[in-house]
Amino acid sequence: MDETARFSSAAKLALAARYEIISMTNIGKASHVGSALSVVDILSVLYTGSASIHPKNIDQENRDVVILSKGHSVSALYSILALQGFFAREWLETFCKNGAPLGGHVTFGTPGVELSTGSLGHGLPYGLGIAISRKKNRVRGRVFVVISDGECDEGSTWESAMIANHHNLDNLVVVIDRNGLQSLANTEDTLKLEPLADKWVAFGWETRIVNGHDYVQLQESTESSSRPLCIVANTTKGKGVNFMEDSVLWHYRSPNDEEAQKAVIQLNGNY
Amino acid sequence: MRDAFIKVLLNEARKDPSIFLITGDLGFGVLEEFASELPNQFLNSGVNEQAMMGMAAGIASTGKRVFVYSIANFPTFRCLEQIRNDICLMNNSVVIVSLGAGYAYGSLGYTHHALEDIAVMRALPNMEVVVPADPFETALVTEFLTKTKKPSYLRLGKSNEPNIHKVKPNIKYGKFNEVIHGDSGTLLFVGSIGVVAELAREEILKRGYSVSVVSVPFLSNLDKEYLENAAHKGPIITIEEHSTRGGFGSAILEFLNVEKITARVGMIAADQKNLSLTGSQDFLRISNGITSSRIANEFTKLVGFQR
Repeated sequence: MDETARFSSAAKLALAARYEIISMTNIGKASHVGSALSVVDILSVLYTGSASIHPKNIDQENRDVVILSKGHSVSALYSILALQGFFAREWLETFCKNGAPLGGHVTFGTPGVELSTGSLGHGLPYGLGIAISRKKNRVRGRVFVVISDGECDEGSTWESAMIANHHNLDNLVVVIDRNGLQSLANTEDTLKLEPLADKWVAFGWETRIVNGHDYVQLQESTESSSRPLCIVANTTKGKGVNFMEDSVLWHYRSPNDEEAQKAVIQLNGNY
Repeated sequence: MRDAFIKVLLNEARKDPSIFLITGDLGFGVLEEFASELPNQFLNSGVNEQAMMGMAAGIASTGKRVFVYSIANFPTFRCLEQIRNDICLMNNSVVIVSLGAGYAYGSLGYTHHALEDIAVMRALPNMEVVVPADPFETALVTEFLTKTKKPSYLRLGKSNEPNIHKVKPNIKYGKFNEVIHGDSGTLLFVGSIGVVAELAREEILKRGYSVSVVSVPFLSNLDKEYLENAAHKGPIITIEEHSTRGGFGSAILEFLNVEKITARVGMIAADQKNLSLTGSQDFLRISNGITSSRIANEFTKLVGFQR
């Protein structure tokens, strides 16, 4: 892979990834396009320098770690990993095909993937373990865990929040993709999360609230902290394609050829 | 068994800084020395098995051999998906250490009885289920588990179990461990229930048959050669302080079937007819049908001889 082909601008990476996400979910007849478009800006910021992780340092012990705990938004992560040179872009074209290297949830063995995810509430405890081990062994590098807001329904999320605070893990960062929608309905109609940021504050975390589609705000929010850091990134599910935005339908529906074309035209106009 | 375990673990951890011990807020009077001597290799997670097990997997992913210490069903059922996804799927180097096998915490009630753990743990991919018979075997398998990397489940009794082996035995991975040899049949057991198997041997002796009493510490890697010989010799009775469904006896039956070994097999396991019953370990063993006379009767039935 030509290293110069990598993106250094989060905005450019995110747009390129958005095209891939539409294409992947269309070709692979895959779900969760809305979730991927929601989180793609967060991941783009992390993979363009806010987290120190790239194909050249992936085997280094003290690099940063990124775990996408909301494993269903896999098309966003795989797009970014391919575009940043972790594996061949061609792999994206066989997404969710029989026997293909890339399937419908984040799966280990894929270059750049830390943990298989798909069942919610697993990424944070795992990342917490890496952060604790690094603390005890004086290994540098931060651990970023990107979770969904629906994932804050899980007890293991709050168990981890307590443990991280108790051990003052200033090397652990949680980014919540706060798009307000979960599987069947609005998060507040499903199981009230608000006041979400206050909950993290009460659990002892430094908490920053940002626009999850504003690259500058996101970058600034990842600056180091003296305590475990929670970034509540307010996002829009399906961001960038107006007929997918803020709609539960696009948690499941995969775009057909016509819809994919429409989406691409939208992206051309919006970015 | 827990004392034998922690003694060896502490000894190995002094030499090997990659050994890490997590407790789910249990181990009063057992773990203090480890915790104070090796604080950098120890963590009390609190009462939070799901996060604890995911965290254990994360720690293991940084190159550690992580032992997670807890009681009965807490480090298994409460966090089963963390074990399945974060440990087994990811093949992370975690040993789950569960105290209180079977009815070891009998008087504490069914919440503290570990009776389905073997069935569930041995169903998981990559998982090595290890059940030592006595403190001798516990020390040996603990040392073995510090040297390997595989996800493992170590099922221990409690404390003050007698040594069933007269002298320290040799443990070999994948090999059965004979306590006493006999020529007419075989009593295979897992864990501290071996003492009941020994009593059954005495009863069977009175009926004119001599049987081997054999510990099976490695449930996920059974001893084909031993089983072939045992099947040829006479009836095989499996004995476990665990539910009949999916446990040690089931493992033996599956193995015999896969290996096409024809054998006469009897299974002695917990009836679980009255789940609200509490009492001592011996009382609950007897109440749930794990008795020497039942083992002896099962044997004589199969050998075609009933006095």
